[in-house]
Amino acid sequence: MIPVFDTSCPVAGRSGEPVGAKLAAGTRPRIAIFSLTGCEGCSLAILELENELLDVLGAVDIVNFREGMSERDWNIDIGFVDGAVSTPHDEAQLRRLRECCKTLVAIGSCACLGGVNTLKNAQPQNEYRGYVYGEAARHFPTADARPLSAFVPIDHELPGCPLVREEFLRFVKCLLGGRPFRLPSYPVCVECKRRGNLCSYERGQICLGPLTRGGCDAICPSYGRACDGCRGVVSNEALKAFGRNMRTQYDVSLSDVLERLRLFGAFQESALP
Amino acid sequence: MLDGIISHQELLRRIDALRVERRLIGPVARVEPECMPPVRYFYQPVERADELALDFTYCVQSPKAVLLPPAEPLLRFDRESGKFRAGPVIDHTPTALIGVHPCDVHAIELLDAVFSNGNADGHYLARRRSLFIVAVDCPEPCTEGVFCRDMETHETDRGFDVILYRLDADRRYGVVFASDAGRAWLNPSLSSGGMRTPNSDDERTFIRYRQNKERAFEPRLPMPRRELPEMMARSYDSLLWEATAQRCYSCGSCNLACPTCYCFDIRDENELNGGGCRLREWDACMARDFALVAGGHNFRAKPGQRLRHRLYRKAAWIEAQTGLHGCVGCARCDRACTAKISIVEMLGQLAEEVQHAGTRP
Repeated sequence: MIPVFDTSCPVAGRSGEPVGAKLAAGTRPRIAIFSLTGCEGCSLAILELENELLDVLGAVDIVNFREGMSERDWNIDIGFVDGAVSTPHDEAQLRRLRECCKTLVAIGSCACLGGVNTLKNAQPQNEYRGYVYGEAARHFPTADARPLSAFVPIDHELPGCPLVREEFLRFVKCLLGGRPFRLPSYPVCVECKRRGNLCSYERGQICLGPLTRGGCDAICPSYGRACDGCRGVVSNEALKAFGRNMRTQYDVSLSDVLERLRLFGAFQESALP
Repeated sequence: MLDGIISHQELLRRIDALRVERRLIGPVARVEPECMPPVRYFYQPVERADELALDFTYCVQSPKAVLLPPAEPLLRFDRESGKFRAGPVIDHTPTALIGVHPCDVHAIELLDAVFSNGNADGHYLARRRSLFIVAVDCPEPCTEGVFCRDMETHETDRGFDVILYRLDADRRYGVVFASDAGRAWLNPSLSSGGMRTPNSDDERTFIRYRQNKERAFEPRLPMPRRELPEMMARSYDSLLWEATAQRCYSCGSCNLACPTCYCFDIRDENELNGGGCRLREWDACMARDFALVAGGHNFRAKPGQRLRHRLYRKAAWIEAQTGLHGCVGCARCDRACTAKISIVEMLGQLAEEVQHAGTRP
């Protein structure tokens, strides 16, 4: 899960390091992109970087990418993984990827938070296996959906449903330039205000923007849709404040708040007021 | 004293004439069916004067973005043919900002001072020098919750090129000039009859207008503005900061909506070809990492410290630095806060605390 920082500051730690620290100088990084349980929309979003894709391809070697090519190679500098770990097979594959990739990057809400897959975690396993797989259920072992970081150390996380293409590109530029990469530490509201949007709350919507990590350029509120928190909670303080404000200022119950936060797995029990 | 009287039709004609040489930005009405009332006003570029809503209540965002864009390149660099080259990006686009209420005129005056004093900011000043400002006076408070009367920013006699006073219902404006450019723009000799010099009736109407205005704006704070710095000085250890910050998201919406908040962050954006730009973006002192420095220390790591800092800036420190209002009472921060934390209510509570402390033996 994306670390939720308390009152101290997230300067130290993995995501403050230069992205390309593990690369040998002067070599083209060998990149791979993998998918576990998810819609593979994040992999697809990378292919949608149409204007920049050729520049990126000119600077890296993509050696393994099911969504985009048929060759397979397992000597990998940087592996991007979308999808959550939702089956024993996912887990085994993820552990293999951790061994093959010098740097491992989780992309998208599923890989970073568990994503919509985690909706099944609140239901009895027999039940959902039954209605998903029917009589063949016994052939499909499954488990609670979890983010990648629940199983192996992850070097960087690029959340969002789907991942934010511009952020992915910024990450790749940092990677190639050997510069540090950091996710925004401010919520979506900052980008809404920079874009000059009318606040969703003025329209009477309950928006998760104030407690959701920015970086998406407030894309949902910009099109009139309140934020659903797909990039995860930005801080424990904001989460606690949200609980308090919903109860005291908006008369919204804690269970309703949690329901909203569960959609993308952004909810973290330990942090609630 | 008025300098002229102009009809609505003639005003629109003159604004359209401005469009020949300048881009026009002004309040535009947008229907928002889910809002109460179901209309909101936004500063937007327009092509024609009749797109403007000059009788607007308030614009959701302040006109700050016209002078200090949310994100702007300060310089660009490239490495073509192996050589590093860099050059500044300066925006001189001639612009007319039509429809600025007195509070926002005061706010622009503050931005001017901030970006001219000490190290003058060429990027800001280039835009400012290319900007023509037409202010529109408010006959009454634009909406509930504003406290411009307390901040003494509900009227203004400088910081614009022209100010318009809507004297009566058939949209006749009283005109006052504050610059030669303003005087040249509404020169009566260019008129097809819609612009004239004021007579004694007009002056009487203007006096009535100002008397009515004086009655319409009521103070909301329990103390005059000049006592705020003293009150703040006695409030540093108030429990209010921590208590109120329990609900604060540290989202910075109050900063970003504020017409006088000018803080920014600068970072470099690199392109894959080795070029790139240095970008300046709005920053917010309420955001958690605003006061984070190299080595990992954060001077204001707690939300309560950040809230206190912001109020001190608005009610005392900016004025101490510039002699100008740090807060113009527009209440955009109050409206922007989804946690419903109100600056004017906080000031009121602090005033009460200080008064109580004063009466204790």
